[in-house]
Amino acid sequence: MDNRRLFLFKGLMWILAGLAAAVAIVRFSLGLGVSTALSDTTPWGLWIGFDVMGGVALAAGGFVMAAVVHIFHRDRYHAAARPAILTAFLGYGAVAVGLLFDLGLPWNIWHATIYWNIHSALFEVAWCVMLYLTVLALEVTPTILERTPFQKTYRFFVKLALPIMILGIMLSTLHQSSLGTMLLIMPFRVHPLWYSHLLPELFFVSAICLGIVMVMVESTVTSWLYRREPEMEMLAGLARLASIALACYFVMKMGDLLRQGKLAMVFDGSWLANLFIAEMLLSTVIPMVLLALPAVRRSFTGMWSLACCSVLGFVLDRINASGLSQVWATRRFYFPAWTEFAISLGIVAACVLVFFFIQERFPVDPHGLAQVEAERKALEAAPPAFAPFAQVWLGEGWRKAAKVYSFLFVLALAFGLTAAPKAEPVVNTRAVRAVGASILQIGPGPRYVYFDHKKHQDEAGGSKSCALCHHLHQKGDVGTPCVVCHENMFLRTSIFNHEAHVADLHGNASCVQCHGKSEPIRVAPAKKCSQCHDKDMMAANPVVKVFDSKWAPSYKDAMHKMCIPCHVEKAKDAALKLPNLGRCGACHDSGTQAEKAYTAEFPEKTAAGERS
Amino acid sequence: MIENPCILTDVTKCIGCEQCVVACKKINDLPANGAPPRPGSTPDGLSADRWTTVIRKPDNHFVRKQCRHCLEPACVSVCPVGAMQKTPEGPVIYDKKICLGCRYCMMACPYGIPHYEWDSPNPSVRKCILCYPSLKAGKIDKPACVAACPTQATIFGTRDEMLAEARKRLRAEPSKYVQKVWGENQVGGTSVLYVSDISLDFLAWGDGRELSDKPLPPLTWAVLKAVPFEFVGMGVIMGSLYWIIERRRKLMDEKAAACTSGEDNHGQ
Repeated sequence: MDNRRLFLFKGLMWILAGLAAAVAIVRFSLGLGVSTALSDTTPWGLWIGFDVMGGVALAAGGFVMAAVVHIFHRDRYHAAARPAILTAFLGYGAVAVGLLFDLGLPWNIWHATIYWNIHSALFEVAWCVMLYLTVLALEVTPTILERTPFQKTYRFFVKLALPIMILGIMLSTLHQSSLGTMLLIMPFRVHPLWYSHLLPELFFVSAICLGIVMVMVESTVTSWLYRREPEMEMLAGLARLASIALACYFVMKMGDLLRQGKLAMVFDGSWLANLFIAEMLLSTVIPMVLLALPAVRRSFTGMWSLACCSVLGFVLDRINASGLSQVWATRRFYFPAWTEFAISLGIVAACVLVFFFIQERFPVDPHGLAQVEAERKALEAAPPAFAPFAQVWLGEGWRKAAKVYSFLFVLALAFGLTAAPKAEPVVNTRAVRAVGASILQIGPGPRYVYFDHKKHQDEAGGSKSCALCHHLHQKGDVGTPCVVCHENMFLRTSIFNHEAHVADLHGNASCVQCHGKSEPIRVAPAKKCSQCHDKDMMAANPVVKVFDSKWAPSYKDAMHKMCIPCHVEKAKDAALKLPNLGRCGACHDSGTQAEKAYTAEFPEKTAAGERS
Repeated sequence: MIENPCILTDVTKCIGCEQCVVACKKINDLPANGAPPRPGSTPDGLSADRWTTVIRKPDNHFVRKQCRHCLEPACVSVCPVGAMQKTPEGPVIYDKKICLGCRYCMMACPYGIPHYEWDSPNPSVRKCILCYPSLKAGKIDKPACVAACPTQATIFGTRDEMLAEARKRLRAEPSKYVQKVWGENQVGGTSVLYVSDISLDFLAWGDGRELSDKPLPPLTWAVLKAVPFEFVGMGVIMGSLYWIIERRRKLMDEKAAACTSGEDNHGQ
């Protein structure tokens, strides 16, 4: 391999693609629950925030460059137009694939074509993306056909180019802004710093900014990978454009905050406000100011690093608006599972590989206007012969590389399959109950805790509070697990009441009594509960039965297993003269459904009740 | 089936027995022992197989949570394919056959009602449908949860009747109730109303702040209705810009050519 840099980079891309392929298998066979960290509170995660919201914006370079080169005739950017359009095509393809992963029922995706809801912003986005993907395919076609013998078809597509470009710009305007419109209906979720009635306009303008800086990133990265001379003049021009566009965005954003009276909120010091500042600095302020300096625009490093910085900032903006900022409202934090990262990265990697594939085989880049015209003349003089497999399809030296890449792909796939999560039920923290004695087993090990039923009952509100724990139908519909109340060791309601212990042992000076003198003070070296509470920590024995269940008894179980044995006993007492006390009918009207159900379920128990 | 069916829940009367939950599970054929809640979700008890729940609040307050069947439902408005539907009578129902699984409805619901079958490779969005099929078929005259309530803490009627009843209760015991009918105007009004002696703003997202009275769908529609004009407008702008720029270039080229040819003539 003569270009080691490119070889390693492609190898990495193949590994990421292989990993994603493994996760894809898990995702489609087991569902979203296993393969993501999403929940009902956070139903949209990384795949919407980055792959869809970010992906569409990242691919904005296509329509921006189409406008700059083909409408405004800025010929010096001609070389950037084709790569930008190809990137956009692949980018939108990636969005579509990403969406297939995120949709719960991806095989229904075509429904958007026949079931219409014009009131839905997502419907509009879906249609625009479908149409624009088609338009982009038409825009890419001339690149593919140019050096083939199909010159007639090529000329047809070149003639078609202008109306198609304009259509592409029209569609992009709509759906770039509609991604912002999608968030308009959630004023209760999106944090006020991101929420605005101007979201559609802000998304559109930021997409233009992102389009320009993304073309810069692309151009610099490919020239670095392929060891080409960077087109500094074009890059400097793009940098100047970016600086102007970013300034427009900055003015719009700040003006909007001012209009809504939210400017003070930016500096209120909360972590979301700081996140907003970070996002604005990365995406807009730093690149805007520095790219305005001519000295920076002469530096290759300066331009690619600032462009990357801006790209990062804008992707962060999309993620913040569509998800992260909503933590404010839901108060539940979501961090993507590694499998979600694997899919997102894998899709990007696959796109990069297809980009390289086309770029190495078709006239994508560099493609200045003069060069295009020279090549055209040469082609018209001597059209190429039809030999796609020798010249176009595989290219030279593909065999050796293909072996290595396939190996890496399969290796990553195998690793992914072993590492991917399996469908396993989520296990609650165990709190095991014992009936017959007031003792609870905590966790799987031999840890037993004294359980005072009367104390619980008194604290929960007396004899009428049974239903608080012994539910008729609590979630799980068996009963209440201890962890519903005792969820955190350091809360007031904890099994271990730290505050009460501190107070009982006379304040701060008593720390060492349990934690020892080790610094810093941690939970780990502290005394075991049983070291003080010997009599409260009983192990299971013939008298004390420990039941292996994490639930408190349900209402039904509490009645039938705890009350009925007593009633049966009492019924034997002739002095009480209550022979019916042990019968089902004492509580349940004879012949009611409940009794029938009970008799059917436990015939032997009912018979015992009858006999006594 | 009555028009504008509506449920009024009186928080002061609920004893938290969860008979409504049992009845709901029975009529909708939901599994009794559902999956444990997903980590990271709000622990209000709602899940894909538990469409109503009773939330416990301090001092023996029990608040039943269920779909609010908004008059202008955001979930219906955002569904790209119309799988979430507002029936002509009022209840909001869901059609699995159409659904894509995009979960936009779950994002757009201000109360966090629709829940997802996360563990299924063929998942549905699940939520209370106000017993619409059974009511429509005339099998029952009120939703199962209402029929099951032993204390009439939750009652059923038309929306006007329920609003009148709610106002009557607020007037009768002004010191007992917070003087507000939750759901009367929130997000344009809902078909599940509450009267209560504690604030119920926690039922909605938004950091405990009150929801606006403005319905949500117009927020999107205000922008979307302009889409055809934007589309055509952008086309016209781009087309005419192209024409102007192209013409200027041509004129400049001609001028340059004229100059050069003029010089040539002069030279001869």
